[in-house]
Amino acid sequence: MHFTTMNNLGTLLSESRGKKPLFMAHMIAGYPTIEDSEKVAEALVKGGADIIELQIPFSDPMADGPAIAVASEEAIKAGATVAKSLSLLKKVAALGKPVAVMTYVNIPFRYGIPKFVKSIADAGASALIVPDCPFDTQEGQTFFDSCKECGVYFVPVVSPGVPKERLEQLASAGGGSSSGGKDSRGFVYCTSRQGITGANSKFAKELFDFVKELKQIFKLPIAVGFGVKSKEDVAELAQVADIVIAGSVFVNAIKNSGIGHVEPLVRTLM
Amino acid sequence: MNKEIKYGGAYVPEMLWDTLRKLTEEFERAKKDEAFQSEFQDLLRNFSGRPTPLIFAARATADLGGLTGQGAKVYLKNEGANHTGAHKITHCLGQGLLAKRLGKSMLIAETGAGQHGVATATAAAKLGLECVVFMGSHDIKRQRPNVFLMERLGAKVVPVEYGSKTLKDAVNEALKFWMEHLDEAHYCIGSVLGPAPYPEMNRYFQSVIGREIRAELSERENKLPDAIVACVGGGSNAMGSFYDFIPEKSVRLIGVEAGGVGKKMGEHASRKIAGELGIFQGYKSLFLQTDEGQIAPTHSISAGLDYPGVGPELAELYTSGRVELTYATDAEAVSAVDYFAKLEGVISALESAHALAEVRKIAPKMPKNSIVVATLSGRGDKDLFNFARAFKDESFREFLKDEYNRYE
Repeated sequence: MHFTTMNNLGTLLSESRGKKPLFMAHMIAGYPTIEDSEKVAEALVKGGADIIELQIPFSDPMADGPAIAVASEEAIKAGATVAKSLSLLKKVAALGKPVAVMTYVNIPFRYGIPKFVKSIADAGASALIVPDCPFDTQEGQTFFDSCKECGVYFVPVVSPGVPKERLEQLASAGGGSSSGGKDSRGFVYCTSRQGITGANSKFAKELFDFVKELKQIFKLPIAVGFGVKSKEDVAELAQVADIVIAGSVFVNAIKNSGIGHVEPLVRTLM
Repeated sequence: MNKEIKYGGAYVPEMLWDTLRKLTEEFERAKKDEAFQSEFQDLLRNFSGRPTPLIFAARATADLGGLTGQGAKVYLKNEGANHTGAHKITHCLGQGLLAKRLGKSMLIAETGAGQHGVATATAAAKLGLECVVFMGSHDIKRQRPNVFLMERLGAKVVPVEYGSKTLKDAVNEALKFWMEHLDEAHYCIGSVLGPAPYPEMNRYFQSVIGREIRAELSERENKLPDAIVACVGGGSNAMGSFYDFIPEKSVRLIGVEAGGVGKKMGEHASRKIAGELGIFQGYKSLFLQTDEGQIAPTHSISAGLDYPGVGPELAELYTSGRVELTYATDAEAVSAVDYFAKLEGVISALESAHALAEVRKIAPKMPKNSIVVATLSGRGDKDLFNFARAFKDESFREFLKDEYNRYE
């Protein structure tokens, strides 16, 4: 099956083309607890998030900062198993917004990659993000194939500094179909651990140029996540991004102020 | 592309792709470059103090039955004689030279016991590079003297306050810092693990250990050893000791892991006991992990072996049957330190003592005139406080109190 019917994320992305950027809000399955993380999802949706990024916690999240690392650890301690994360995913997906599942490769690797992809698809996920699994590995290929079969986008993750040569490889990867892997990618997730250090910083300029390059190479919507903390950050990224990602800001809000602050925070940021 | 890799690989975010590619290319160039080789050899000889001695452990051999009756002759490859006290300095110097060739101005490193951190800080100072070392806050408490040394060598030591606050978390934090500082920093990974090319690169630098064992033993005994024994955390001294002998089928290669205090998860750091295939910190190998793929807590009295993963080349040699893995407990390691100190005048690091513990078990069972070489990967100075505590030394306790009072 090659996306004979577009999933709900595909529909959203095509309908919103050329309009105001979408807002993707991040949460961790099981943080602060499994029950409470369901409330977090509800708050994100009520606040107006367009897409939910649901992270299935891994003990050692290489590409995340300390806030998400600590929260992942607490979620696992509080009992966030893969099975519980999947039943949470089902509830989150039922809220009506597209859900992108994010996790680290060892979790699906141990679970069995085809089985993992089928399980998240059955639970309602529209996309999968695995930052530590390059496409040109055996596992990367298995992700591609399984995602295609289940109608889930396998989203590439890139950062400023990735050379054009590699971006072009990524854009044409995906195996087999004449359109390359493009139709099975949904969007491109552009991230960095460097934050935006002011609207006119050299880095912001580099980022903008990079996003433009991504658009040319991938011809896909570009999601951009750079540790946004404020409405100003969101507005800044909205100049170039098709999807603005807000990640650790919600984890920090839950930790510092409680779940009650999540919904108003979404409104403030958007 | 898309080829099946049983062990190893480079499972990293795309932002590291170009950096790893450049590192691989520079490593390949350096291997063929005479200027690089002569600079590296000069540092090993005239800075680190290589070749390191191969000690004939005559009294231990006699005690284990190897001169009169049944039993092997015991030799110790004393890597503890290296500058900074362990084999780690070798791959730090090698990587430091590569970092300079790549135009980097800073070495970053993770450290558990502090040995690799001290070695990296030393190489950085010698080669004129900045140095930042990441260390779990739990390890900082256990290994304060090494933190002090790193700081004196000009390094900045950054505590890691999350996770188990030990070696694996230090690796995570070093990787994160690296991703933010790719232009100026080279990540000097401290063992034969991490994404390609690190496992091969560190093994390449460390393989001098095995070549020296071969040459020294050939001169003394005019033959190959029958067994080589080395402790295994990530596996750098083991791969270094074994590599030259892999084609020599008559030579048993034995890696000794941390048996800790028991066989339950969290009580040891032995992949032989419970390692399962996984992908972690950039490489595919055997890891201690839960059924769900969460990385498991580990325990060892030696901080250098207290890590859930094993180098991919070593995992492959183990599963193919070429390398045997076994383990020694905390108590056996402490006892082996004492045994070789009294009989041979050698105070071993607790890590290396795991290999010595295995020698005590196998030497008496080996045929007369056979030879076992144990790699003494590091000397025991760094474990002074741990030893004193393990032996419940009352006078040392009094000394610490006095020292505290003298501190004003």
